[in-house]
Amino acid sequence: MTAAVTLPSAPPRRTPTVRQTLRAYRAMGRAAFRSLVAYQTSFLFGLLATTLAAVAMLYLWRSVLAAGRVNGFDWPAMKAYLLVAFVAGSLVSSYVDYRMAGRIQQGDVAMDLVRPVDYQRSRLAEALGFGGYELGTGLVVAAAAAALFGGVPAPAHRSLGAFAVSAVLVLPLRFGIVYISALVVFWTRNYVGVQSARIALITLFSGSLVPLSFFPGWLQGLAAALPFAGMASTPALLYIGRLTGADAWRDVGVQAAWTVGLWWLGRAMWRGASRQLTVHGG
Amino acid sequence: MRRNLWLYRRCLGAQLRATLEYEGDFWIMSVAALLTQGMGIVFLWAIFRAIPQINGWRFWDVVLIYSLVALTEGIAVLLAQGAWSMAVTVNLGGLDTILVRPYSPLLQVLSSQIGMNGLGNLALGGSLFVAALLHVGVAWSPGRIATAAFVLAFAPLVKIGLNVLTNCSAFWLKTPWSMFPFAFHTLGELARYPISIYGVVVRVILSVVLPYAFMSYFPATAVLSLGSSSWLGVLTPVAAVWCLLLGRWAFRRGLLRYESAGS
Repeated sequence: MTAAVTLPSAPPRRTPTVRQTLRAYRAMGRAAFRSLVAYQTSFLFGLLATTLAAVAMLYLWRSVLAAGRVNGFDWPAMKAYLLVAFVAGSLVSSYVDYRMAGRIQQGDVAMDLVRPVDYQRSRLAEALGFGGYELGTGLVVAAAAAALFGGVPAPAHRSLGAFAVSAVLVLPLRFGIVYISALVVFWTRNYVGVQSARIALITLFSGSLVPLSFFPGWLQGLAAALPFAGMASTPALLYIGRLTGADAWRDVGVQAAWTVGLWWLGRAMWRGASRQLTVHGG
Repeated sequence: MRRNLWLYRRCLGAQLRATLEYEGDFWIMSVAALLTQGMGIVFLWAIFRAIPQINGWRFWDVVLIYSLVALTEGIAVLLAQGAWSMAVTVNLGGLDTILVRPYSPLLQVLSSQIGMNGLGNLALGGSLFVAALLHVGVAWSPGRIATAAFVLAFAPLVKIGLNVLTNCSAFWLKTPWSMFPFAFHTLGELARYPISIYGVVVRVILSVVLPYAFMSYFPATAVLSLGSSSWLGVLTPVAAVWCLLLGRWAFRRGLLRYESAGS
């Protein structure tokens, strides 16, 4: 016996309006935020780990600067520098690339390919959702650490505007690097190694442990040519007022240029990567 | 005892063969380990360019401590990386298989993985260690060499014991992630620097509560006769045995709570 199956006639395909698309991204961001809150124990232990590392740095620098100023940094300025770098570093903390890499390795990314939303923008929406929680907890930890180590000076007045712009750029810039390093998994199929290599590079060349001016000239030149300075050094130096006037805006400009450049590099890589995809099984 | 060691070697050997199937991963992980440890050295070097010493410790003294952390990590990762698989094993009920085999469950867990970043850590840690020993400028009497060899042989066991202890949290937390022990692993990395830089609370934690300082700082003080309490370094074997016993105790307590995964 055969039954006639009548398929409902498919509605004519149309591109979603801008408002519909924005609503989709907002929903993704919200879902990301909620997933972080739902599993926050694990996230908070992760935060504890980075906090301990930051506390170690504060103690180390306190001993280094105990005798007085080094390279123009005194202890209060260094405290502020390290804590701004810590908060900046707590954004886009591996959740975005952990998920992406998992879906690439498992082949689930095939589902993302058929969705009617842009892949990169969707991941950015999630990064913003995670970021809300990461920023909140990062600020709380930084405030507690500041209290423990006897307070930090307020941001410098002279460079407040540049600092604000630079601070806003940190998340999209970090997203650019994290997104690219997650796409590398398409080729390497290894995530842990790529991730720890990325973290090592960012930690050193963003100046989050030691201000870049402590490096010898050639290493400073290398750091200046890389995109990492905008992830910690630039906002932290602006906060403590070591970067002012034209220099300040030049560095913020470099930061913005890298943010845009990495975004487009990520787009180009995604086009190549999705051709590289192997999905096993059926 | 001999059977245990033989089985342990066989288990690790099987893991090693399985691991070497993924040659690309091996190289990526080794390069990542080199980058991570190298980053830490560049950081120290940048600081010591600006100042000659921290609390009486010069650059190569600190490199010695740092290299011991890298070496310890390399050894722990090669010989007992399985501790880090406990979260997943417990969460998915994988201990069922382990419990029915006629071999110590703890040793089975420990030998169930080999970390591919181990060789990278050993290579860099080893070179730094040798370079540091050549530069620290102590007089190498036979007594000092014997002390150094004795103390350093036990240092990695401190880390392995504490890895087991912290990873046993899996029996209580029951999540498939190892974030909780990882936080303590980061705490252990505070032992990369002379612990005299820390406040009293941190120092007590690192030397008594969870004695991570016995994998690097205290052995280094014994080798260099530096710091106010260099005799403490000789206690490294005691700390190692204590940490291993703590780990075994926690694992046994955990097994009593283990209730498989249902389904």
